[in-house]
Amino acid sequence: MQTKILLDEDEMPRRWYNIQADLPTPLDPPLNPKTFAPATPGDFASIFPMELIRQEMSMKRYIDIPEEVIEILRLWRPSPLYRARRLEQFLGTPARIYYKYEGVSPAGSHKPNTAVPQAYYNREEGIERIATETGAGQWGSAIAFATCHFDMDCTVYMVRASYDQKPYRKMMMQVWGAECHASPSSLTACGRSVLEKDPETSGSLGIAISEAVEDAATHANTNYALGSVLNHVCLHQTVVGLEAREQLASVDEYPDVVVACVGGGSNFGGIAFPFAGDKLTGKRPDIDIVAVEPAACPTLTKGLYAYDYGDEAGLTPILKMFTLGHDFVPPAIHAGGLRYHGDSPIVSRLVRDGTARAVSVYQNDVFEAAQTFARTEGMIPAPESAHAIRTTIDIALECRRTGEAKTILFNNTGHGHFDLAAYDAFYAGRLPDYDYPEELIRDALSRLPKVG
Amino acid sequence: MQGIERIGFLVNPIAGMGGRVGLKGTDGLVERARSLGAEPSARGRALEALRPLAGRDLRFLTAAGEMGETVLRDAAITGSSVVYHPSDPSTARDTREACRAFLDRGIDLLLFCGGDGTARDVADAVGGAVPVLGIPAGVKMFSSVFAVDPTAVGAVIPVSGPLRCIDGEVVDVDEEAYRSNEFRTVLHAVVRTPAAPGLVQASKQVFEEVEEERARTAIGAFIADAMRPGLLYILGPGTTTAAVAGHLGLEGTLLGFDAVQDGRLVGADLDERGILDLLGSAGEARLVLSVIGAQGFVLGRGTQVCSPAVLRRVGPEHVILLGTPGKLARTPELHIDTGDPDLDAAFGTHLQVITGYGTAQRKRRAVRSDHASDPPSPAKNVCRRNDRAKGA
Repeated sequence: MQTKILLDEDEMPRRWYNIQADLPTPLDPPLNPKTFAPATPGDFASIFPMELIRQEMSMKRYIDIPEEVIEILRLWRPSPLYRARRLEQFLGTPARIYYKYEGVSPAGSHKPNTAVPQAYYNREEGIERIATETGAGQWGSAIAFATCHFDMDCTVYMVRASYDQKPYRKMMMQVWGAECHASPSSLTACGRSVLEKDPETSGSLGIAISEAVEDAATHANTNYALGSVLNHVCLHQTVVGLEAREQLASVDEYPDVVVACVGGGSNFGGIAFPFAGDKLTGKRPDIDIVAVEPAACPTLTKGLYAYDYGDEAGLTPILKMFTLGHDFVPPAIHAGGLRYHGDSPIVSRLVRDGTARAVSVYQNDVFEAAQTFARTEGMIPAPESAHAIRTTIDIALECRRTGEAKTILFNNTGHGHFDLAAYDAFYAGRLPDYDYPEELIRDALSRLPKVG
Repeated sequence: MQGIERIGFLVNPIAGMGGRVGLKGTDGLVERARSLGAEPSARGRALEALRPLAGRDLRFLTAAGEMGETVLRDAAITGSSVVYHPSDPSTARDTREACRAFLDRGIDLLLFCGGDGTARDVADAVGGAVPVLGIPAGVKMFSSVFAVDPTAVGAVIPVSGPLRCIDGEVVDVDEEAYRSNEFRTVLHAVVRTPAAPGLVQASKQVFEEVEEERARTAIGAFIADAMRPGLLYILGPGTTTAAVAGHLGLEGTLLGFDAVQDGRLVGADLDERGILDLLGSAGEARLVLSVIGAQGFVLGRGTQVCSPAVLRRVGPEHVILLGTPGKLARTPELHIDTGDPDLDAAFGTHLQVITGYGTAQRKRRAVRSDHASDPPSPAKNVCRRNDRAKGA
């Protein structure tokens, strides 16, 4: 029986899929953080190359992948699609579970799918250095890997909680020639101002973004690169869903359910957008698309759909998205990549419109699912990916109850080899189940003056 | 802050004797315990704790005889001086007097061997003056000032550098009632205690997002910011709830119940009647409670003030629980025992505890049948993770 469904290298997608072309109405525009007017390409020009700004706003359904980018993606793409038969048997479910495995990339996750094209477009426009942030360290190592291939410098601001938890990520970045600093750092004005208020802070993705954006905006040879949230990032990730759709078609399958975890939204977008496009265009109106987030940081399930800053300091354009407020510092869950107050505007829009739905899960339940997966399928998943596994297992168990033989596809975004300390904490009973005190937060916010 | 150099050390020689023979404590019952065949165990436990300290550059102040002197000698500890002479047999008064004698001469840490009763006497004398650490040897050890076991004491006292301290609650728990499935808990005092071993090792620190004090300040600020105009907030005992009052600039009652409305203190050190009266004239109300003690008590029926009548009037959904991450890390599950099983059940299987500004944790509530057959052992973290290790 076939376990891995593989594509040949020449079957790799040559174009990215841009779901903006298939949205029923255009996205609400990003706003300039100072004037609150709709942002123009010029607002982004100090930190992004023009081609990425064009992609960010493009309404073209397909965008060609540059040949030089494809050559690098070949190092690990197309990635395998697995049938999780052992997991199915263990669960006793009639459901068929498939997963796309993105941990085969050099950096160990889906992140290089966009790091490579981002580095490429920056190099093409004469940029010599990239400044960026990283949460769990996945994005930092991906961009370090990518810039190394284009002979560029790279500075990474890594959220302190992860910097302390995952020293090996920092070392990987070093191997690929990047510099990595714990954020908040004393290298930027935003970092210094946060440290002044709270020298012991564990940091957040929002703060690290502010630092990287400031670095890029104040150095002419330097641009910023974001590992998630923005439209062009999700666009680059669609190779994942496009491949998966081909791979499933080769075994006469099409998913009833697509599941992925959501931090900023790029891995979710990567696997889900091609299928969401099928739903939006009426080809597959019944497909169930599920976004899984941590109960500690429940942006899509408990956030507000509103305009908010993408970062702590309010330097980025204001985006219409689900948000917990740009000053919310999520608890230090081990899925560091899911600690973000906002979400991709496209993913937010899909959830708002009911094209996709969102669920939230607790940390210990996630690790329990991760363990089940590791003991059946072998691979030890990253805590982020394990969020998708938790919900996949829940849906498969529901199928056992109803007898439905659904086809479930989930995105297994990376391995957990640098997250073993988190597994250790799980076994020691030391993982808190972080929660979000929704009502009290609402009460606390209702006292603040309304702005905008 | 400098390291630990001078330690005040005392043993309650009769601690723990009652437990072996089914008595609920030993105060005033020593002869009866002896006649029932009990032997002193405190001495052995103290020796276990002290032996690893021999040879270290520490100076001990202690009480004469079996209240400290002989144990130090048998543990081969040389740098000690006797600064107090107890009566024979020694009593609770001697514990308090010995502590005062140590404080008069200056100490960096008070190390005692005993149980909750000893902790209470030590706390009465020491207050917040110096950190307090207990070597567990009593019948009851529900206060959060005890090392996990005697051998852990050496690891808690740093060879050099400052001692990292947290607040430790000294609680009164009626153990006999506890064994018959009832909680009678009262917060007696709050002292400073070294962060427990197992919580300061390297792999642990990443989970401790903030220090206790920082967390408490953040919790206080969050609850204060979330207080709605017109609503009555009843603040229970403990340092975390006190931080709420502190943030509002109010002088709360550390060990009692206060009421706050529109930023003003409308009742201090209330009893049940006082709370019910306030509730009678108020509209909606919130009850704000801290997680107390080493075993995660939230509501025990001994907390007479928080009676089922009060809880029903406020509503279980309007009870706001507070706990620092450090406290919750040492508390596997939370205990609610109001004396009314239906009311207990209304709290659900999991409780949300506010742990910082806008952050919370979900904790499992201990189920009554659990502790009927298997009471969690005092002063130990009960790890039930193995229950989960069996798959989906």
